[in-house]
Amino acid sequence: MKSILKITLGVALFTSLSYSSEQFAMSDADRAMYADLLDANPADMMVQDGKELLSKYGGGDAGLAKFLHVSEDKLPAFIAGFPRYLPDFKKVVGLGQVAQALMVTNGNKAFALKDPKMFNMVAYIKSIANDEKINIDVNANQQMKDAYALGEKTFNERRGGRGLSCLSCHSADVVGSILRTQPLPDLGVNNSGGTWPAYRMTKSSLSTMQHRFQGCMNNALQAVIPLGSPEMVGLEVYVTNKAKGKAIAIPGLKR
Amino acid sequence: MQRRDFIKTLGAAAVIGAVVPAMSFAADAPKGPNAFSYKQALDTITGGKTPVKSEKIHLKVPEIAENGAVVPVTVEVDSPMTESDYVKAIYIFATKNNNVRCVAMHLTPANGKAILGTRVKLGGTQDVAALVEMSDGSFLVNSQSVKVTIGGCG
Amino acid sequence: MEERKALIKIKPKSYADGEIVKVDFMVMHPMETGMRKDKKTGQVVPAKYINSVKFDYNGKIITSMNVWESVSVNPVFTIYMKVNGAGNLKVTFTDSTGEVNESSIEIKPKG
Repeated sequence: MKSILKITLGVALFTSLSYSSEQFAMSDADRAMYADLLDANPADMMVQDGKELLSKYGGGDAGLAKFLHVSEDKLPAFIAGFPRYLPDFKKVVGLGQVAQALMVTNGNKAFALKDPKMFNMVAYIKSIANDEKINIDVNANQQMKDAYALGEKTFNERRGGRGLSCLSCHSADVVGSILRTQPLPDLGVNNSGGTWPAYRMTKSSLSTMQHRFQGCMNNALQAVIPLGSPEMVGLEVYVTNKAKGKAIAIPGLKR
Repeated sequence: MQRRDFIKTLGAAAVIGAVVPAMSFAADAPKGPNAFSYKQALDTITGGKTPVKSEKIHLKVPEIAENGAVVPVTVEVDSPMTESDYVKAIYIFATKNNNVRCVAMHLTPANGKAILGTRVKLGGTQDVAALVEMSDGSFLVNSQSVKVTIGGCG
Repeated sequence: MEERKALIKIKPKSYADGEIVKVDFMVMHPMETGMRKDKKTGQVVPAKYINSVKFDYNGKIITSMNVWESVSVNPVFTIYMKVNGAGNLKVTFTDSTGEVNESSIEIKPKG
């Protein structure tokens, strides 16, 4: 039954895309009304929860700064550069992996990367960098160069039953066309890197960028790449870099 | 059936789903524990008085809601909000939901402005209505249609 | 009594006495309609929704609400209020299963 559902979904997606120009779109006034909801974002509560979790399991901002070997006043700018290569990990990592290691260092069992509590914690940690500009450096070292290259490859690679890639919906030539009332966003202009984790209204929950990627893969009938894997972190590096220089504003609010 | 035909059939069904985005209400839709109709709600609150349609009520809802689970609604009523002339209550109804009642807000002059904002679930395309009770006991009403679709991707 | 995460936000952040400010109250709550079926078990999830919200400003109820299940999950309620002296805004909210919680914020007009 599940596979039938997937086929249906895939066909629906495909037909929607091919007829996109004939579909009606949401008006700008409507969109502005939804944008206004950012004013009272339910995810503010989840960020608050994440703050409490970080203080309980990771020694709060100070504990995090110490763990990352930066002073507390440099912490926001440092966080604005994630995912980044950390010598302690010997690889490029996202904030979720940092939070896990921090929890373990503090003698706690780490939350799974897919645990909603982990999403809350990641959202809080990233919100420490609010108003900072994204300063990811994809040329900082060979590891970052490799992560970026892997991310780009993963983004462009056609996979799964319908041969779709991330690029199928987010390349420059389809950006702005309407898929089921919603315009396909340019991930850079849209500041994806600065607005995830975000509250998803369709799910009534907070989600991270990597978790959102998983949703995309699922809808596109691709095998879902695990959170925290090199490909997933690479994707986050690649997409975050598109919004380099844009201000971080966590939590975001998405449809 | 060949697999290909099977997919075609499903595809046709999906296309119908895609071009008729508005969800419809089945006549035999299950009734929840709080089933309550728009008429019932109006009668209960106004005691049978007919509310007057009024432009004093500014009801802001999206024309198209791409997700019925979170539909922003704001009701603003022109009123001086003084002890002698204020808005006593604002009611928001999703006129075709199983239970049309969303929020009944009881105000006082201490509010300063007669505004209620919230987000509601809409089971399908329908009118959202705002009923307002003024301090003189009169009732005003206004409504707006919201087209509910299943939009976007995932 | 179950503790629920809730948040009160006042806009603008800095305000004078006598000013009318916007108050956003939000709470993490599933707002179960009693009509939704659990995808795994196939069982109907029992109704559980916020049914009452009261705004108490320095001991006076300035606004009260009856709420039903048609309000979205993790509900947000926006009202306005006229600042009338320093003190406390307390929001008491109950749900249909009898849960009672409260959340409050200090009201501190400048000057």
